[in-house]
Formats: sequence, C-alpha cells, structure tokens
Amino acid sequence: MFAVFKKEMKTYFSSLTGYIFMGFFLILSGFFVSIYNLSGGSPDYNGVLTSINFIFLFVVPILTMRLMSEEQKQKTDQLLLTSPLSIWDIVLGKYFAAVGVFGLTLLITCIYPIMLSFYGKLAVPEIVGGYIGFFLLGCAFISIGLFVSSKTDNQVISAVVTFSVLLFIWLLDAIQQGLPTGVVSGIIFAGIIVAAIALFVYSATKNKAVGIVTAIIGIAIIAIVYFIDKSLYNAFIVNFFGWFSLFKRYQGFAMGVLSLSPIIYYITFSFAFLFLTVRGIDKRRWI
Amino acid sequence: MIQVENLTKKYGDHIAVDNASFTVEKGEILGFLGPNGAGKSTVMNIITGYISATEGSVKVAGYDILDEPEEVKRRIGYLPEFPPLYGDMTVIEYLDFVGDIKSLEKKDKKENIQRVMDLVRIDNVKGRLIKNLSKGYRQRVGLAQAILGAPDVLILDEPTVGLDPKQIIEMRNLIKELGKEHTVILSSHILPEVSAVCDRVIIINKGRIVASDTPTNLSRRIGDSSRLILRVAGPEKQVVKILGGITGVKYADSQGSREPDTVDVVVEADKDVDIRKPVFNRLSEAGYPILMMKSMDLTLEDIFLHVTTEEGEVS
Repeated sequence: MFAVFKKEMKTYFSSLTGYIFMGFFLILSGFFVSIYNLSGGSPDYNGVLTSINFIFLFVVPILTMRLMSEEQKQKTDQLLLTSPLSIWDIVLGKYFAAVGVFGLTLLITCIYPIMLSFYGKLAVPEIVGGYIGFFLLGCAFISIGLFVSSKTDNQVISAVVTFSVLLFIWLLDAIQQGLPTGVVSGIIFAGIIVAAIALFVYSATKNKAVGIVTAIIGIAIIAIVYFIDKSLYNAFIVNFFGWFSLFKRYQGFAMGVLSLSPIIYYITFSFAFLFLTVRGIDKRRWI
Repeated sequence: MIQVENLTKKYGDHIAVDNASFTVEKGEILGFLGPNGAGKSTVMNIITGYISATEGSVKVAGYDILDEPEEVKRRIGYLPEFPPLYGDMTVIEYLDFVGDIKSLEKKDKKENIQRVMDLVRIDNVKGRLIKNLSKGYRQRVGLAQAILGAPDVLILDEPTVGLDPKQIIEMRNLIKELGKEHTVILSSHILPEVSAVCDRVIIINKGRIVASDTPTNLSRRIGDSSRLILRVAGPEKQVVKILGGITGVKYADSQGSREPDTVDVVVEADKDVDIRKPVFNRLSEAGYPILMMKSMDLTLEDIFLHVTTEEGEVS
C-alpha cells in the first residue's frame, strides 16, 4: 500500500495536478478570508470554511479524475493487478495519496487563523472542530471521485461525472424541500427502490428466478412494514435522500459541535465507496 | 511448476479459451504459437491473475490462483502485450516502484535493479523519462520489470514485437539465458522465434490447443514430405517429365519461367528420401544445368494450416 501511496504522491507533484489543486484551493480560500475576515473584520473563521464548501465541487474532480482512469488507459493496471498487491492495497494507496494532498493543502490554510489570532481572540476549539469536519467531508468526496474514476478509462468523463455527483449532493438539501411527503408517495418510492435492486440482482446474476425472488421479498417487506407502521412511509423520500446529504452533517462542525455521529457517518460513507471501488475492480476480472 | 486444467473463458457468447489443459515443468521454456486473437494473451492474463477464468483452474508452484492469488503473483514476472509503463517516470524510478510493489528488501532492491538493468542493457537510459524512450527500449524496460525480484516463472507476451532484427536476436538470447534459471512461457506468432528459443510449443487456434510438442517433433509430424524448389535451364515439359520420373518423387509441378529459357519447378518427395543427388544426376545426364536448388522450409502458415485442418478432420 505504501508503495502505491508514494508513487501517487510523486505523480501529484511531478505533474501539474497537485499544484493546480493546491493553487485553486488556496486562492479561493484566501479570497474568502480576505473579504470575510480581513476586510469584514470578523473573527468568525468557521464562517469561511462553511462558505467555501462548494469548492469541493471543483477541486475534488481535479484530484481524483486521474487516479484509476489513467491506469486503465495506459494498461498499467495490469502491472498493479498482477503484482503481489491486493486490490485494497492499490485502492487505499491511491485514496490516502489524494487525501494526503488535500490534508497538506488544508494544513497550509491554518496560516489564516494563526494570522487572525494576532489581531484578536479566536474560538480555537471551534475552529479545530470546523477543520476536522471540513477534512472528513473532503475525504468522503474524494472516495466518491475515486469510485467514479475506477469506472471509466477516460479522465474527462471521470471529472465530469464526479462533478455532477457532487453537484447533486450539494443541491440535495434544496431538492429535499420540494419532495412529496405523503404515505402513498413513500410507498411508490419504496417500490421503485425494490425494482432497482431486483434489476441489479438480475443483471449481476443473469438469473431471472433470483431477480423475481428478490422483487417478491422486497414487496413483502414493503407490505409488512405498511401493516406494522404506516407512518414510516411518511416523508420516506425526504429521509431517503437525507441519508446522502453530506453537507447537512457538516453544519454541526461549523458551529463547533464535535459529535460522534457525523464523524462516523463520514468515515462509513468513505469506506462504503472504497469498498464499492474494490468490488468493482475485482468484478471486472470476471466479465 | 504450472498446471492449467480445463481452462475456459467466455465473453458473453464468445469463447476466448476453450477447455485448455497443459502443464509446464520447472526450467522449461514453453512457446504459445497462434494467430492474432487465438487466445494466447487471454491464457496468460488468466495465469497471472489479471482476469479470471469462467471455468477451470490454474496452479503455480502448487498454489491456486483463486485461493492464494498473492502467493501465485509473488512467483510470476509478467510482461504483457503492451508493457505497463508509466511515461512520467524515469527508468530507475519505475524499477524502484516495481521493486516496492514486489516488496523487495531495501538493500536487495538496489542491487537487484542494477543487475536487471545490466542484463537487459538499459543502464545507459536509466535517467530518462520512459515516454521519451524508443519502442525497443520500452520493451526492454518492460522485460526488466518482469525479471525484477527473480520470480520463478516468467510470462512474456510477444516479447520481440516492435524490435529491430538485431534486438530480436538479443532478446532471444536473453530469454534462453533466463530459461536456465526461470520457467518461461512466451507467446509469438513467428515460428522461427519459437523454434529457436522454446523447448516445447503449444499451438492455439480459436481458443483451443490444437498441438503440443517439441518444435522438431512438430515439424517432423507435419512434414510427411520434403519439398525442393529448382530452377533449371531447359524446356519446361522435358524437365518436368524427367523430375517426375525419379523414384521417390510424388510430383513435379512447373511454376512457370522467371528467367528466359529456364523453368522453375517444385518437387515434392517422400519424407525420408533424399532426392537431391538423383535430381542432379538425371538433369545433368539430360544436359539441363541446375541454376538453383533449395529446400522449401515449412512456414508457420504451413504448420499452422496443417495442424488446424488435421485436428478439424479428427473432431
């Protein structure tokens, strides 16, 4: 794993990618600090971190688009996958390299609050909390980018799709408010999910019977839940999308509240996408 | 060293490898021969664990590729059809990285890299970026990568493709040299290459193994006759008649005239009969000088066509 990490780190800084990422990130964050804190005279540094959340939409694709796509394009994945490394070694090595570049950049931005602290009193614990949240949020996005990158051998497609997914997640909170909240719509939505799962199972196993059984089990669960407690379907759509709302969980950090559940949420989220990446690469060998 | 049993690989309805079984002994150099798209690379990719077989098993040094992939991969050095090189790295950086992923000890690694670079003669380009190297050098860097760490088994997919004739000879000698310490599987669609280097040849066509033998046995089995091509100064009809009358000759066939007042004739005779002396004597008696006489070598096309049609008749 360390070998892959080292190689990726080297690639980030021997090509322009690492510098573009850092430059873009630092310029944008510097811009917000000057306007908000320096010109505006505000000691609220966490406000800056919250406002530059959207930066991930642009910088995460830069960081992750190359990771797996380029290996596939250059056929160098053949070297990695036939070496004694496990797929987890490869994926984790790449993930930590991207996280490393991001962490390094974040470390540089620590200059801003240090600079501010000369001119007034800062709420240090809050800022530390804000940073932890910001870092974890970034890690979760990087795992999405890595996953997308493993699905295509084209860097541009990788970047565009990652951007779209992140944009969707960013808009999720706004979208949620417009979604229907009734019981009926909840049941219909659950039905759609069951259908999607059944289709997925069918495409994975190429076995009609298994797909149909999956669908029947799903429908049975929907029916059982309906008879036990109808109200669970109330606002089901909203809750479902709420599970993917990464930004909403950042709000606690921004206020300086360091609670365990969003931390675990972000780590689980990242892990889930790393897991999907590994499974995806492993599965490709069987096609 | 390598046991491959009932290997089958399907891509949807297309069967890339069909029920292939073979074994490779320790220290043997095995050649895969077959036209493009015959399934050579697919078999190699399965043995190295890059893709998985639909059915069948592969064992290297007793370890199954599915059960203990890391043990298998540790023992294999692989040069794929397209050498997996990072263009943005220098040769030495690249080999250093390969040493790391093969988890070589730090002090062994440096020695090992130097030894490998000397062996494939890339020491003079070690500081250059791989993307700026010529095809021949890239191929050699790819080979260096495969040899690094002295794995028991080397799998080389068309190792001489893209090299110039001098480099091809060097590469063949190198592979022979490597065959003394390693078990080698190499693929090629060039017959002389395989017969020059390999102890044993497996011919693959449309995913099926159609023949497996030593190169000499293979050409002996296939060549049930020997053929000569002659250029004789004399009238076509007479010459063909004289040649056709020699004992042991199956037929003599005129190929027309390429030089004025001469005729080119192909003579096919039984395998164990050397007809060159009678041919000379009879033609000189008749007063028709032989301007050229050479035996026609069996080409890959001959052997390949023969083997595939022969097997086709059996099945």
